[in-house]
Amino acid sequence: MNKNGKFLIAPTLLWLTVFFVVPMLIVVAVSFASRTPYGQVVFNWTLHNYGRFLEPLYLSIFGQTLVVAFVTTVVTVLMGYPLAYYIAQLPKRWQQPGLILCMIPFWINFLIRSYAWVIILRAQGVLNTLLIKAGLIGQPLQLLYNEGAVMLGMVYALLPFMILPIYVSIEQLDHRLLEAASDLGAKPLTAFRKITLPLTMPGVAAGTILVFISSLGMFVVPDVMGGAKSALVGNLIQNQFLSARDWPFGSALSIMLAVLSLVLIILYYRTLQIQKGGADNAKDVA
Amino acid sequence: MKKLITLLLCTFVLLLGGCGGSDKPQKTAADGQEQVLNLFSWADNFSPKVLEDFEKKYHCKINYDVFANNEELLAKIQAGGSRYDVIQPSDYMVATMTKLNLLEELDHSALDNTKNILPALQHPAYDPQGRYSVVYTWGVTGIVYNKKYVKTLPASWNDLWNPAYKGRVILLNDSREVLGMALKKNGYSVNSKDKAELEKAVQDLRKLSPSVLAYDTDTIKQKFIAEEAWIGTMWSGDASFAHKDNKDLAFVIPKEGAVIWADTFAIPKGARHKDLAQKFINYLYDPKVSAANYEYIGYNDPNAKAESYHSEAFNNDPMLKAAKDYISKGEWIEDIGEALTMYDRYWTELKTGK
Repeated sequence: MNKNGKFLIAPTLLWLTVFFVVPMLIVVAVSFASRTPYGQVVFNWTLHNYGRFLEPLYLSIFGQTLVVAFVTTVVTVLMGYPLAYYIAQLPKRWQQPGLILCMIPFWINFLIRSYAWVIILRAQGVLNTLLIKAGLIGQPLQLLYNEGAVMLGMVYALLPFMILPIYVSIEQLDHRLLEAASDLGAKPLTAFRKITLPLTMPGVAAGTILVFISSLGMFVVPDVMGGAKSALVGNLIQNQFLSARDWPFGSALSIMLAVLSLVLIILYYRTLQIQKGGADNAKDVA
Repeated sequence: MKKLITLLLCTFVLLLGGCGGSDKPQKTAADGQEQVLNLFSWADNFSPKVLEDFEKKYHCKINYDVFANNEELLAKIQAGGSRYDVIQPSDYMVATMTKLNLLEELDHSALDNTKNILPALQHPAYDPQGRYSVVYTWGVTGIVYNKKYVKTLPASWNDLWNPAYKGRVILLNDSREVLGMALKKNGYSVNSKDKAELEKAVQDLRKLSPSVLAYDTDTIKQKFIAEEAWIGTMWSGDASFAHKDNKDLAFVIPKEGAVIWADTFAIPKGARHKDLAQKFINYLYDPKVSAANYEYIGYNDPNAKAESYHSEAFNNDPMLKAAKDYISKGEWIEDIGEALTMYDRYWTELKTGK
């Protein structure tokens, strides 16, 4: 890299050092500290907090969080892929408005949108009132404060993160490949399965990572739409800082969450690479 | 197109990032003439008119910063509390801050009006001599219920366990309040550090949890106003608020006893404008001022001399009255030190259903 290049990236490096590396190191340091009876942090370099993480109670919360994040990711793929595909198939001038429609909700703060869901779904909310008026139900349905509501909130919040990367990869797809497939007698479904899907996997992969990681740390949705009845890792960490006054344990949990995310991402990319290698080989053979 | 998407994605991440707080109290008076009072408090905790009047009377400017919970307050004060002149820790936090040597001793000779505070609030357990704090807002945690659905008047915490209310119970989203309630139900102290007593309380709460609609502190009022919930635990001040919007709501303090709580005024160590801070505190306990102030806030007025300045509606508010009648019998939540970790563990167990 030449001198100009170094000069150009200096602000970015400085930014990352000050706002990412240093805070991260502080979190790491605190995770090896202890808590005094009044909640102060004392640095005595102990593994105690990581030991606590291994207790079944906390491991089960991590497990539960992984399950929720996994289901959220699968649902967003299943919903996001068709939608992205649909938008990519639209005439060029309708594509941009289509994408913007997916994003307009983001102009409103997420917390407010969560409360909007509460107003829609609660016992005397919009949906129940409509259903009762229409005579479809006699008693209001309990739509809120359960796992289904948490899942709905998660998928709602994260769906656009899946749509966008998939859209990009579909849009970049070389259509001549599909024409060639059709010329060679492949049915549309076969062409989709053998060409479109493998070639748009990078988009799915990017979306999966974005959605999975974001859902691991979610704590607003379980609180607002889940009635704070379940504990996910995000809530557990929040509690350590805001009520248990146990920063060292909260830090250790944060580090474990980060490490876990990293390991999963690496494993995920490895698997994809192997598959991609296989697909490339197949292409060569063909 | 790709650029557009990158840009939009970046915006998403920023928007999803959530909320941070501004953190820039003014260090000194702007022009040397006008003093600045750096106030660090809960959001919407004063009548704006009362603050304005104080600014005019003492030719100063109030710089009002807000925190959302006691832990945030503590963290900021530990990081350099002298930037603030007046802070509003809750009861147990006063004890913590006192032990950590973070509070200035108040000079009561400059706080004449604080003599107006109800005698029952003059010697709270967390600061028995009132050396570091004075009570500002206070209340009692009782049972709120909707008369449309709850036909028998609840008299005991046990009534929350009534199977008729399954799926309609709301508890505060606060480990100390909820575990404290269950301890109280069994006749124990809300500050118990006894493992057997806590186990018993947690066992009871486990039986209650299938009945719980939600744990909520911030929007609990809305859940009762919209009649999502029928019965639950609530602070008297919030109950009074909710009652204004839904007249079917009623409030009762169970026979086993209840938690009394307060937010206070205190001055952090090294405050730059201690004089002005004391003037401010003193000003707010002037009977007329406090009447105007608490009419706006809607919580119990601790001022014994303010009653004649309050509206009839305020003086006759059933929720505020219930709290006031109970004032000397409530038990304060205290800082339990090491045992807080145990409480948090039980709380997590309860939430995970383990």
